[in-house]
Amino acid sequence: MAGPVSEDEMNNRSYYRLLLIGITALIPLSLFAVFVFLGTYSWPAIRFNGLHFLIGKTWSLGNLYANPITLHGAVVPRGARYGVLVFVAGTVLSSLIALAIAVPVSLGVAVFLSEGAPPRLRPALSFIVELLAGVPSVVYGLWGFAVLIPFVAATLGPGLKHLFGWIPFFRGPVGGGYGLLSASLVLALMVVPIIAATVRDALSKVPLEIKEAAYGLGASRFEVVSRVMLPMARASVIGASILGLGRALGETMAVLMVSGGALNYLPGNIYGPVSTMASFIASQLDSALQDPTGMAVRSLAEIALLLFGITVLVNILARLLIGRKGATARA
Amino acid sequence: MAGSRAGAGNRPGLAGQSLPHQTKMTAAMTLPTAVPYSAGRVRGAGALPVGQGADERIRDQVMSEGQNGIKLRARDLYFYYGKEVALKNISLDIATHMVTAFIGPSGCGKSTLLRTFNRMYELYADQKATGEVYLDDRNILLPGEDLYRLRARVGMVFQKPTPFPISVYENVAFGVRLYERLRKSDMDDRVEAALRQAALWDEVSGKLSQNALSLSGGQQQRLCIARAVAVKPEVLLLDEPASALDPISTFKIEELIYELKQKYTIAIVTHNMQQAARVSDYTAFMYLGELVEFGDTNTIFTNPRKQQTEDYITGRYG
Repeated sequence: MAGPVSEDEMNNRSYYRLLLIGITALIPLSLFAVFVFLGTYSWPAIRFNGLHFLIGKTWSLGNLYANPITLHGAVVPRGARYGVLVFVAGTVLSSLIALAIAVPVSLGVAVFLSEGAPPRLRPALSFIVELLAGVPSVVYGLWGFAVLIPFVAATLGPGLKHLFGWIPFFRGPVGGGYGLLSASLVLALMVVPIIAATVRDALSKVPLEIKEAAYGLGASRFEVVSRVMLPMARASVIGASILGLGRALGETMAVLMVSGGALNYLPGNIYGPVSTMASFIASQLDSALQDPTGMAVRSLAEIALLLFGITVLVNILARLLIGRKGATARA
Repeated sequence: MAGSRAGAGNRPGLAGQSLPHQTKMTAAMTLPTAVPYSAGRVRGAGALPVGQGADERIRDQVMSEGQNGIKLRARDLYFYYGKEVALKNISLDIATHMVTAFIGPSGCGKSTLLRTFNRMYELYADQKATGEVYLDDRNILLPGEDLYRLRARVGMVFQKPTPFPISVYENVAFGVRLYERLRKSDMDDRVEAALRQAALWDEVSGKLSQNALSLSGGQQQRLCIARAVAVKPEVLLLDEPASALDPISTFKIEELIYELKQKYTIAIVTHNMQQAARVSDYTAFMYLGELVEFGDTNTIFTNPRKQQTEDYITGRYG
């Protein structure tokens, strides 16, 4: 084993090394490439929109049939305004509400899968949950459109209004079901399998000795789960939640089908229509292409850049959170 | 130590077998189970043909030796992993404030026996025990037994240190919080007392808020003992508590066991025969799920009655 290594083998090793480095580098490089592309492509829009992009509530392509004008050194259609606050608000609100619903549900599912379910059924149930994570989002969207929307309009919306109407955000009108609530619910449904599968994994990795030690002190099953197992899986819970948040932030199709497609309108309550950044890009690309100056498409790219930035930021935040908690939980 | 062992009256005997020096006494077999406060109240706890005279005699003996009686008694205990029988017809007594060691080769059922004393096996659907195990005079194998209370009364420490990944303080407070709402200052006192009992206080008093996983293996194991005693149990079950530790830590644990028996009744499973000889008052030798020999540790190690026992303790197999 410890003998000298032949020259051939040394060469092989360095090729192998190079190959691995190359493949590994592909990932950060492509991330960087996306960033550079979005940055350069949307640069005219960034210069033209300035800060108004973030604080403006109005998105208008302007008069596409009149002659373009020159404004702030850029050629744009007359009356064009590209404010995306509505979409940022729609994205952040729907994702956070989805997460607020999904995390507790996922924890319940994960605990049930690892502790509560009959041992014989656990593998099958876990498999089904993982399967749900892989269902194409348009399927969820269609289900949301066909089943959830009527339910929200007729039952859930009025019910929430009745129960929580004293909170301004839950006050009516309930509307037709398309809106923030439905979008959040569909997103939550899509995110639950992701979080549940990850947390179940982490729970099942809690050593048997630790569980027995807790039971040995007289802890009940609930206490063992809530005071020992979940705290031990905390890093996974945070990581999985952020993973889910990432998916919710970027979800396009399903949200598009149930969100009501708000334009220039901030939702006044939880039932109000919204648009998210991702679904807005998808739904508006066709119209934006009609803009002869190209500023509309470049502004859509700027939305993509912003979404990209938010996603990266969220992931870095998660990494920091896990890093801190993880350090105390490992050792 | 020697004094407390002298009287045969409170020595737990193996039901159905007689120890050499006990045969000199009449009714020696039944004496161990006939401690005053339970005699006549325990039904089915072995044969107890004790007359009034004997009763008084025992009471005198027990009084003269302090609180010593029988804390745990197993009767006709069988244990099953699925269909496999792991314990066969075990009957034995564990004396109060004494250390009882269980030795025997791997798979002999000694850990299994320990796990029936706090019904830890209940966590697993395919495991079950039949027979009787009395803690004082309650049969804890009965279906109605409150397992959480039982486990608070019968603490357990495992082979591998099992600290929870929280602070040293919270580890010790963990079990206490399950049952008691204490003021901060009371909890502080309780934690300190438990850590002192586990001979760990001096080493960790400055780092109570540190994560328990930052302690050494030996410290972690003593932390687990502190965590167990913080709940104020009556019995401590130690399942090979030192087998994952270095010699110095092992020595500390053994010293600790000697201290702890002043307050707790201790049952310890060990692979290490020297350890059993050093720390225990009584020793049970088990083989293939059966209790081969049980008696006073000195006798088991110097003058075992059975060839099998002698072969094992002299290292001929196991």
